[in-house]
Amino acid sequence: MSDTLVRTEPVPTVPFAGGGVTISRAAPMVRYSIRARQPQALETLFNARFPHKIGATEGGIACLGPDEWLLRAGEGTAIPMSEGLPLAVTDISERAVCLIVEGARAAEVLMSGCPLDLELFAAGRATRTLYETVEIILIRETDDCFHVEVWRSFAPWLWTALTTAATH
Amino acid sequence: MSGYRLATGGRVDRTAPAQFSFDGQSYEGLAGDTLASALIANGVAVFGRSFKYHRPRGVLGSGSEEPNALVSVDRGPGRFTPNLRATNVEVHDRLTAVSQNRWPSLKTDFGAINDRLGMFLPAGFYNKTFMWPRSFWDKLYEPAIRRMAGLGEAPTEIDPDIYAATYAHCDLLIIGAGPAGIDAALEAAGTNKRIVLIDDQNELGGGALADPSLFEWLERSVKALVDAPNLTILTRTTAFGYYHDNFIGAVQRLTDHLPDGGNAAREKLWRIRAGEVILAQGAIERPLVFEGNDTPGVMLASAARVFANRYGVAVGRSVALMASHDSGWHDVFALAKAGEGITAILDIREAVDDVLLKQAADIGVAVKLGHSVIGVSGRHGVKAIEIARNDGTGKMLVSCDALLMAGGWTPSVHLWSQSKGSLRWRDDLGAYVPDKPNEKVRCVGACAGTWNFGSGLVIDELPTPKDQARIKAFVDFQNDVTAKDIRLAVREGFRSIEHIKRYTTNGMATDQGKTSNLNGLQIASQAMARPVTDIGLTTFRPPYTPQTFGALAGHAKDALFQPTRKTNIDGWAEENGAVFELVAQWRRARYFPKAGEDMHAAVNRECLAVRERLGIFDASTLGKIEVVGPDAAEFLNRMYTNPWKALEPGRCRYGLLLKEDGFITDDGVSARLAPDRFHLTTTTGGAARVLNMMEDYLQTEWPDLNVWLTSTTEQYAVIALQGPNARKLLQPLVQGIDLSAEAFPHMAIREGTICGIPTRLFRVSFTGELGFEINVPTAHGRALWERIMAEGAQFGITPYGTEAMHVLRAEKGYIIVGQDTDGTVTPYDAGLDWAVGKKKPDFVGRRSLARPDIVASGRKQLVGLLTDDPNVVLEEGAQIVADPNQPIPMKMIGHVTSSYWSATLGRSIALAFVAGGQGRMGETLHIPMPGKTHTAKVGGMVFYDPEGTRLNV
Repeated sequence: MSDTLVRTEPVPTVPFAGGGVTISRAAPMVRYSIRARQPQALETLFNARFPHKIGATEGGIACLGPDEWLLRAGEGTAIPMSEGLPLAVTDISERAVCLIVEGARAAEVLMSGCPLDLELFAAGRATRTLYETVEIILIRETDDCFHVEVWRSFAPWLWTALTTAATH
Repeated sequence: MSGYRLATGGRVDRTAPAQFSFDGQSYEGLAGDTLASALIANGVAVFGRSFKYHRPRGVLGSGSEEPNALVSVDRGPGRFTPNLRATNVEVHDRLTAVSQNRWPSLKTDFGAINDRLGMFLPAGFYNKTFMWPRSFWDKLYEPAIRRMAGLGEAPTEIDPDIYAATYAHCDLLIIGAGPAGIDAALEAAGTNKRIVLIDDQNELGGGALADPSLFEWLERSVKALVDAPNLTILTRTTAFGYYHDNFIGAVQRLTDHLPDGGNAAREKLWRIRAGEVILAQGAIERPLVFEGNDTPGVMLASAARVFANRYGVAVGRSVALMASHDSGWHDVFALAKAGEGITAILDIREAVDDVLLKQAADIGVAVKLGHSVIGVSGRHGVKAIEIARNDGTGKMLVSCDALLMAGGWTPSVHLWSQSKGSLRWRDDLGAYVPDKPNEKVRCVGACAGTWNFGSGLVIDELPTPKDQARIKAFVDFQNDVTAKDIRLAVREGFRSIEHIKRYTTNGMATDQGKTSNLNGLQIASQAMARPVTDIGLTTFRPPYTPQTFGALAGHAKDALFQPTRKTNIDGWAEENGAVFELVAQWRRARYFPKAGEDMHAAVNRECLAVRERLGIFDASTLGKIEVVGPDAAEFLNRMYTNPWKALEPGRCRYGLLLKEDGFITDDGVSARLAPDRFHLTTTTGGAARVLNMMEDYLQTEWPDLNVWLTSTTEQYAVIALQGPNARKLLQPLVQGIDLSAEAFPHMAIREGTICGIPTRLFRVSFTGELGFEINVPTAHGRALWERIMAEGAQFGITPYGTEAMHVLRAEKGYIIVGQDTDGTVTPYDAGLDWAVGKKKPDFVGRRSLARPDIVASGRKQLVGLLTDDPNVVLEEGAQIVADPNQPIPMKMIGHVTSSYWSATLGRSIALAFVAGGQGRMGETLHIPMPGKTHTAKVGGMVFYDPEGTRLNV
C-alpha cells in the first residue's frame, strides 16, 4: 500500500535559482498550532522552553501571538496531546508548505510584496504577515535565509509571485 | 512661435542625436530632450487640440504641470499610452508620439466648430442641454458625447508589459530634488538615517537644471548624494499619493525612456513607509488670464527659461513678456543671456524695482509698465500681441513670436494637503502655503512659500477694454474653462469653489488644476466680492499626476491577479477532463463529461451512479475548524442554534449558525472527537467568515472560555464516497475502524487508517445515500483518490462534480446557504425548526428569533415546487405569483431558489421561497418565464427517500 503514501505537493520540487536568490520547498515536517493563556503550562507538557515574547523563536517554536505558538519539527516527532488540559494542541502539519528563500537578495525579494520592514527583522524572528493579499508566516532563520510558511492552496501563487519578483 | 535650437547651452548631449516621430513626421532631437523641447527646437508650435473648443494648443509649461501638450506614445501593440505630457516624455530613437483630440488632423480639426459655437456652450452646457427628451439619452446624447469628450484614446489591447512593485522603509523620505530637496538630503546624509530621495525628472536638480550658475554646485552635490551609503536615489519617480502614517505611493518609470526596454519591468510601484517626510516639491508658475492666452506660443516665463537653459532651445526669435511678478523679468534676462531675442517687457504694475529696469535697459528691451496684453493674433502660433494701458487707452500691436506669462507662483501643496496638513492663505503670494502638519512631515523651499523669485501683484484677470462677456480668457487650459465661465457659475448661484469646480469643470482634468486653481479662486473671489479664504479650496486627491493602471496593479495581473486555490486532487480532475467552476477562491470540478456528453448528460449520469452504485467527490474545499479546549462544547452550544453539550465523542451533528439578527449565515456537519475537541465543517465560501465570527465572539464576548480555534481547512484532503457500494469499497482499505452499520452509524466519526494513512472518517451524507467522507493529511489526497478509483472500478465508481452534488442534495431537500438563503432567512423560514434548541437559554441570534417581524405570519418560507409539466425546469431566480391574470405589475410572492432536472425521479424539481409557503401545501402557484407562465404545486422539500432508509443501511 506504499503507493498511497506518495505525497502530492503544490509547488515544484526543483528549486528556483536566479537574481541572487534561491527559492525551494522545505522537506515535509510536523507543525502544531499550540494555544494556551500562559507558556508555563506548555513548557511542563512539552518539557521544552517556549519563547515568551511575541515574534521570538526558541528551537523550532515561534511565538505568534499572546496565546499562540507554532511548533515545527522533523517528520515523525512525537507531540504530546492536550486532552483535559486548559490548552489546545492542533495538528496542522499539512496545512502549509514552507518555501525557503535564500541568498543576498532574499529580503529584497520578500519586500516586493511584504509590507514589513525586513531590515529591522532580525534573524530568529517570526511573525504572521502578508505577501500582497496572501497570509504567510515569515521566519528569518539567518540574515540571508527566510522560511515562508504558506497555506497549501496559496503556495503556487506565492511561488509564482516570488520567482517573478526575483527576476525584477 | 518659431522655436529653434540655440547654438550653445543646455544639458542636452549635442553628440547624441535621436530620431523620433510626431504625428507621422520624423524629427531629430538630442539625448536629454523632452518631446516638448525637441519639437520646439524643430519649430513645432501646435501640440494638440483643446478638450471642448478644439482650439490649437502649444506648450504652456515645462514639467508635470503642463495642461495643453498631451500626447499619446505608441510603443507597439498593446503599448499605447495616452495623455502623456510632452514636457515629461523623454526623447529617444524610434519614439513614436501622436497628438490627441483632433480629427482628422492637428491642423484641420472638425471639432473646432465648437470654438465658433462657444457662446452656445457655456459652463454647465451638458447638464442643461442633454436632459431632454429622456429617450435621446442612450441612443444619441451618450454616444455623441462619448465620442467628442474625453482626453486621448483608451487602449483596447492587453498590456503586455511587466510591472514590478515593492515596499520600502526609510527614516527620511525627501520628495523633490531641487535645490531645497538636495540641501535637505545633503544635511541628512551625514546622519545614520536611512534616506530615500525621489524626483520625477531624469536627473536631480529641479529648478537648478535651468540655472547654469548652479551647475557646478549641482554636480558636486549629486556626487556627494550618490556616494552616501545611507541614501537611495530614485529618479523618474513620481510620488503620487500621500496616505496615512507617512505611507507614500510612488511610481518609478524604468524603460519608457529607452529605445528598447527589453524584458525588463516597465514601471515599479514603490510603497514607502517613512519615519519623516520632507516635501520639496517646488512651486508652479501661474499663467495670466487674458484673451488669447491659450494661443500656441503663449507660455509660462519659467518654462521658456527651462527650455533655454536646460535643453538649449529658444522658444522664439522675438519674445515678449507679460508680467505681474518680478520672476518673469529674471527669466527674460536669462533668455537674453542665452541668446534669445527679447522684444518687449510689459508689466501690469505701474512701478517695479529699479534694478529690474536697469537690467532691462542694459539688454536694450522696451519696457511698458502699467500695460496689459488684451489680445493675441495668430491661431496656430503667436504673430503679434495687442496691448493697452491698464485704463484701456493706448492700444497698440506688438509683433512677437512668443509671449511669456509671469503671474506669480503657486506652492505645490498637493502632497501636503493629501497628508491632511492645514493651509494658510498668504495675500502677498496670492496662494496657500503649508501651515500645521498632520503627519511627521515638513515642507522646504518653494513649496513652503520661501523663494527668491521676487514679488508681484496678485490679480484675477488682466484689465481689458473689451467686453469680458465676449472674450475667451482661459483659466483652465485643459478643460477649456474661461474667466466668464466662472463668473457665470457665480451668477447662477454657486458660492463654494467645490461647486464652481464641478459646474465649470475648472481643475478637474488630468492636471488637476495645477495651473488653474488659484486663478479660478481669484476670479470667483472678485465676482462674489468676498475674500478667497471664504470661498474654500478644492480638495487635493491622489494621484498627483496620472499613473498607469499597470503600475498600480503591479504584480497582480495574469496568473498573479488573484490566487486560484486548488485542492490536492485538482490535478487528477484536470487530467480527467473535468469542467471547473470557481467557488470563492477555489477551483472546483463541476462535472466530468465523457466524450460527446454535454453538462446535462454528464450530470444525469453522475447522479444516477451515486444513487445506484458509487460516486466519488472531492470535498476538500469544505471549511474546517478545529475547536479545542475544556470549554469547547460550551462555546459551540452558544454559537450554534442546536444543543452540543450532550453530543457524545464519536458522533456528528448538523450545526446551524445564525448572525445576531437571527438569520442563517452558515451551516455544516461537525464531529466531537473527544470531550474537548471538535472538528467543525463550514461551507466552502464561508470558512474564513465563520472563523472570524467565532473568534470575534470568543475574544470579545466570552474571553473567559478556555477554548481555541484553528483553521484546518487545508490540513485535510476530503474524499466523499457516496452510494450503496460505499461500505463495500472501504471495507478492505480501512484499518482500525469497524464499518458495520451498528458500530458506525450515520452521523458518526471514527479515527483509524486507510491504505496506511491516518484518517478521520466521517459517516455523513449530503446525497441521501450511504456515505463517508474520508479526511486524510492533504499531501496524500491525490494518491488515495487514485487508489480508491482503482479499487472502485468493480463497483462502477464514478467521479461527480459540484453540479451533481447540487442536484443530489436538492432531491433530499438539503439547503445550500447562500443559494436557498439570502441573509433574510431564519431557521423557521427554512423549515429547520428541528435544528433550534428550544430549551437552550441562549445562542447567537436567539433573541432576534422572538422579534415581532420574525414571528409574524406571512413570512417567506422555503418549500418544494413540482411543476405540473414534469419536463419544465424552472429558472432559478424566477418570480412566483399567486394569480397570473392580475394586472401588471403583479404581486410577487416569492422566487425559485434551486431548480434542477432530477434523473433519479425522471422529472424536474425545485425549491422556492414563498410568502406563507408552509401554509400553501398543495396550492398551485404560477411562475411567469419568457414565453410562458408555468404552473407548479407547493409541497415538501424532500423529493426522494423522505424516510431516509437509504442513509441508515
